[in-house]
Amino acid sequence: MEGKYASDPEWASIQPIPLNDGSESGAQPLATIAYPQAYLEATSYLRAVMAANEMSERALKLTQDIISMNPAHYTVWIYRAKIVFALGKDLQDELEWLNGVSLKYLKNYQIWHHRQVLVSREDFFPTPPHKEADFLMEMFAQDSKNYHVWTYRHWLVRHFKLWDAPREIQDVEALLTSDVRNNSAWNHRFMLRFGPRDGEPDAGMPNGDGPPSEKGRLAVVDEDVVDAELKFAQSKIVRAPENRSPWSYARGVLRAAGRPLAEWKDFAGKFVTEKHDGFEVKSSHAIEWLADVLAEETEPTSGQKAVRMLTLLKEKYDPIRRNYWDYRIRSIAGQEATTSA
Amino acid sequence: MTEITFNRERHIKYFLRCLKTFLPEPYTSNDSNRMLLAFFTVAGLDLLGVLHDKTTSEERQGYIDWIYHCQVPTGGFRGFTGTDFGVESRSPANEAWDPANVPSTFFALAILVILGDDLSRVKRTECLQWLPRLQRKNGSFGEVLGPGGEIEGGGDLRFCCCAAGTRYILRGRSGADIQGLRDIDVSKMAAFVQACQAYDGGMGEAPFCEAHSGHTYCAMGALSFLSRTERNHPLPAVLSPDAVEFESLVRWLVSRQTAELGEIEEESDEDDTKSDTSEGQKPLPAAAIQVVDPKTEVDELPALCPSTEESLRWAGFNGRCNKNADTCYSFWNLATLAMMDRLALVDANRNRQYLLDKTQHIIGGFGKGVGEPPDLLHSYFGLVALAFQGEEGLDDVDPALCISQRAVDHLHSLPWWQKNIQTSRY
Repeated sequence: MEGKYASDPEWASIQPIPLNDGSESGAQPLATIAYPQAYLEATSYLRAVMAANEMSERALKLTQDIISMNPAHYTVWIYRAKIVFALGKDLQDELEWLNGVSLKYLKNYQIWHHRQVLVSREDFFPTPPHKEADFLMEMFAQDSKNYHVWTYRHWLVRHFKLWDAPREIQDVEALLTSDVRNNSAWNHRFMLRFGPRDGEPDAGMPNGDGPPSEKGRLAVVDEDVVDAELKFAQSKIVRAPENRSPWSYARGVLRAAGRPLAEWKDFAGKFVTEKHDGFEVKSSHAIEWLADVLAEETEPTSGQKAVRMLTLLKEKYDPIRRNYWDYRIRSIAGQEATTSA
Repeated sequence: MTEITFNRERHIKYFLRCLKTFLPEPYTSNDSNRMLLAFFTVAGLDLLGVLHDKTTSEERQGYIDWIYHCQVPTGGFRGFTGTDFGVESRSPANEAWDPANVPSTFFALAILVILGDDLSRVKRTECLQWLPRLQRKNGSFGEVLGPGGEIEGGGDLRFCCCAAGTRYILRGRSGADIQGLRDIDVSKMAAFVQACQAYDGGMGEAPFCEAHSGHTYCAMGALSFLSRTERNHPLPAVLSPDAVEFESLVRWLVSRQTAELGEIEEESDEDDTKSDTSEGQKPLPAAAIQVVDPKTEVDELPALCPSTEESLRWAGFNGRCNKNADTCYSFWNLATLAMMDRLALVDANRNRQYLLDKTQHIIGGFGKGVGEPPDLLHSYFGLVALAFQGEEGLDDVDPALCISQRAVDHLHSLPWWQKNIQTSRY
C-alpha cells in the first residue's frame, strides 16, 4: 500500500493491520462502503497502534486524521482522550483544536462528549474554561437549536453550578430576542429557573422522580420568580401568539408552582372573544388553554363550554389535530357521564 | 390534484442497490454505524416483503455469517469491522479498543432475527452478563466499556432503549434458564427514563434536556421492553392512560404534526418579523411590540386567519417544537403513539401526502426533507411510518423492535425463547 503513512519514516516501525471484513472466511459483508484509499490506510495504522496500546505523539496525530474523515468513530475519541491525559497535554490546547472540529461537524455526538470528558477534569478546570460561553454562542450562531450544544450547556451549568450566573440568562434572552420561537432557549430558561439544583436528583422537571401527584412541583416556591416568569412568557406571547413555546413554558411554570391553569383564564380569554357571528381568535393555543381550564371547572355548563372550544380547534383553527380534539371531546363527555351517573 | 402513489418497485430497487453494491464514499463518515446501515438495508427489504425472493439462501447465510463475524469474543457485537485487529492480537490489555457496542448489539440481533437465524451462535450468557456492567448508578446506560471497564459514551436514552431491547431478545419472556445471571437494575432504568420527561410532556436526551421525538421514542421503547417482561410490576405512569404523564405526552406527540415543511428558504434567525410572517400572521406594528400593558397589546393584534385546506394538505412531523417536518420524525412520533395505543389520534392522510408527495424520491427511498436525496435512515423510517398507517405492500411492524411482525413471530417461535411462555401481544 502506497500512502502517506507507508511512505513516512515516522511510521516505519508499525506493521499496519488491514481491514478484515470477513469475506475471506465466507461471510457476505453488509453495508459495504466505497472507502477512500486514505481512510483505509489510516485506519489500518490505527488498528495497529491500538493493538499495541501506544500512547504517543504520532498516535495522537493519527487520531486527528481519522476524526477528520470519520468524526463518529466511537473508539478513536476514547483513545484520543486517553493519549491526551497520558502525555499530559494542555487541555486548553485540546479545546482550541476541538472548537475547529465542532464548527466543521455540526451534528455529532462524540465531539461534545469529548468536550465533556475534558472539561470534567477538575484539576484543569476548577472553573469553566475561558471564553466557554463565547464559543457556545459562536456555535449557536451556526444553528441556534443545535441539540448537542444545548445538552452540553445543560451539563456545564450543572457541573459548575451556573444556574444564577448572569451570563446564562443573558445568552438565553439574546437568543429569544433574535428568535422568539427558539424552543431550545426556552427549555434552557426553564432549567435555569426551575431545574433541579445541587443535591437534587436530575430530572426534566422539578421533583421528576417524585410520586405522580408531586412530579413537576417545586418543594419550595419563590412566588416572585414564578410571577416574573409568567409575565415574561406573556410578553413573548403577545409578540407571536401562535408560538407554542411560551404557552408550554407557562404550563410548566404553573405546574412547578402548584398553581392552576385557571390563573391565566383572563389572559387567554383576551385572544378568544365572542362576537355576534362567532368567535374572534388571535391564538389557537389560547383556545386550547381555555378548553383545559373549562374542562377542570365544575360548573354545570363548563363541560359544554370546553367542548365548544375544542370544536373550534377541530373545525377551524387546528384541523390537522382533528382526531386528537375529538379524543379530548370524548374524554369530557365520558367524565360528564360519570358525574351524572 | 395529482394522484399520489407508493412506488414499491422503486423502493425495492433502492434497497437492493444498497444491499448489493457499495454505498458511496460520503458514507465513510458513517463507517462506525455500519451495523445500523446493515439493519436498515435488510429490514427494508423484509418490510417490502422481498427479502427471500431477491436474495438466495447462500447470500442470506453469508449475511448471517458477517453479523457473527462482528461478534466480539467476550460477548456483544461491534458496530463495524474497522475496530477488529484480529483474535491473535487481542488481549485483556487492548480489548477495550475493540469493544461490543450497545446499539450495534441490538441491531445485530434484530438483523439475525429478520434473516431467520436461531441465534444459537450468539454468546447469550456473556452478552447478558455484559449489559449490567454498562449501567450507571443513576440507572442510565453507556455505549461501550472502555479501558479499565469504564462506562463510556453519553448517558442518553438511546443506550437505555437498545440495552432493554437486547435484554428482551436474549432473555426470552420468562428468562427461566438464566435465573442465576446478574440482571440490570430494571427499576432504576425505568426511574431514569421517566425523569427525562420535560415540562412540556415530551422526553429529552437526558434529564432537563429539551423534549425531542427521537429520544421520546427511545424512552418509551425502553419502558415498553421492560413492561413486556416485568408483568408483576405496575405500568409506569407514562404508559398508563389517564395519568398526567401519559396524557401530556400524547398532547406533545400529536402537536408534532405540522404543515411547516421548510420548503421555502428558512427564515434567518435574526429576523423576528419574518418568523411572525411564517406563522400566518401579518408583521406586528412596531408600536405593538413596545407597549407594556398586556391588554393594549392583545387588542392591537390581528385576528388569526385559519389556514386553508390546501396549505394543510401535506403535514408531516417535526421532532421538536417549532422545527420543520422531517421524514424520520413521522416514524419516531407514530411509533411512540403506537406503543401507547394512540396512533389513531394523528392525521394519517396528511402524513401520507407529505411522505409520498414530498419526500419519496423518484429513484426510490426517502429523503430527509422536501426534495432531498434519499438515504438509508430516512428510507427505512419512511417505509415504517407508512406501514403503521396500513400502506398496501408493506408488512405490519412492531413499534419497539422496529422490525416486521413476521420477524417478531420468528423470534417468539424459537424453542429457547418460548420455554414456559404464553406470548401475548403487547
